[in-house]
Amino acid sequence: MDRINRAPAPDVSTVLRDVSSARGLPNAHYTDADVFKRERDAVLFRNWSGIGFAKDVPKPGFVKPVTFLGMPLLIVRDRDGSLRVFQNTCRHRGMILVDAPGHLRGVIRCPYHSWCYGLDGRLKVTPHVGGPGINTHAALDISTLGLIQIRSHVWMGVVFVNVDGQAPAFEQAHAPLLERWSEFDKPLHAGGAAASFTLDVATNWKLAVENYCESYHLPWVHPGLNSYSRLEDHYNIIERGAYSGQGTYVYRQIKGDRGEMLTDFAGLSEKWETGAEYIAVYPNVLLGVQRDQTFAIVLDPVDCERTIERIALFYAAPVTADLEALADRNAAQWKQVFKEDVFVVEGMQRGRHGVHFDGGRFSPAMDGPTHNFHHWVAAQVQSHAGAAV
Amino acid sequence: MMDRLETALISAHGSGDSNRLAVLYTEAADLAEDAGRIDAACFYLTHALVFALEAGAASATQLAGRLAAHNRMPAARN
Repeated sequence: MDRINRAPAPDVSTVLRDVSSARGLPNAHYTDADVFKRERDAVLFRNWSGIGFAKDVPKPGFVKPVTFLGMPLLIVRDRDGSLRVFQNTCRHRGMILVDAPGHLRGVIRCPYHSWCYGLDGRLKVTPHVGGPGINTHAALDISTLGLIQIRSHVWMGVVFVNVDGQAPAFEQAHAPLLERWSEFDKPLHAGGAAASFTLDVATNWKLAVENYCESYHLPWVHPGLNSYSRLEDHYNIIERGAYSGQGTYVYRQIKGDRGEMLTDFAGLSEKWETGAEYIAVYPNVLLGVQRDQTFAIVLDPVDCERTIERIALFYAAPVTADLEALADRNAAQWKQVFKEDVFVVEGMQRGRHGVHFDGGRFSPAMDGPTHNFHHWVAAQVQSHAGAAV
Repeated sequence: MMDRLETALISAHGSGDSNRLAVLYTEAADLAEDAGRIDAACFYLTHALVFALEAGAASATQLAGRLAAHNRMPAARN
């Protein structure tokens, strides 16, 4: 990680107070490109961040290049079905290896000098490396020149990576949430084309997290939900240092014109008959679980003031032909809800350019999940700065 | 003969047909080897191997073996 000496980090001490007296993160965390780079190292590369979906490499041989905070990554499905993530950079001259998603019948061949890597990352051939027609050289031990593997983990259909390699194992880092949602640890089935979509939003990535994890805004921003899901039907979810979000007691399944419904996950406890939860898995993955479907939003922080939201809906069973129309309607409804949030996160982004805004205050009753996220980011930045000294 | 091969190779490179490239470079290697031009043969065999690997073709093992026999790559690398 490059730790460039920059201006002193913004003071986040007020963020670390109790929610009743805390302020939000300073404006620089939303508008300053240097702070954005600082967050890359201190927050996004240092923890388990989402970069895409396992369904993006559905079968052996599929590869998908991803650029995450400028870093070229490659998601690979090996012949044995295992999924790995590599730095998408040839060990020879640093050329980008794979430019477009697709299916490879054989090795990963660098388009520059044709160094070839297996799907497990091992360097297999270095053509002409010892001169024309000579494919070995005493100075190069190819067993040490495989692709750089990035720690990865798949959960709830999302591919998580820990770029700096120093975070605790995913299962350890997210043990409380894995336990909380253990009933949903089941095969997920990607919906059809309508079930995956992206929103390109003029906002800092954190504002998408902040808006997602609280229910305070629901009656104002999503009035359509009011008819059955009132504010008092929701509860806060706060796990210090790990995640936050909101739950509802009144989730209602979508029904088709003939009364048809999507298939439920098997074996769920009574809580989930009408319960649903929506949790931000820090730093950049937003998840929802309901009796008949889950969804994931992976936030791609393109730059300080632009975020691409990659959204995928997953079902408990493959969507059969008779449920396709219902699944499409379901996807359209979710898309509508997520689009309703765009003006808010873009509006808060513009608001953050108000030089007299002090980070704002939190409602201790309603904004606990949001403050929990601010607190986590502040603690991450602070501990990283301390470690770098 | 080589003119025909060169034309075919350029065409196969143009279409990115790895299987075809592996076959054509193997043919070029065979011709060079028959003429006793071992360095040229190994050059072509190297290209044939690369494209066979890219295509996932079974011929890669044999091509690697031929290069190893000429000490142009370690044995049993594949």
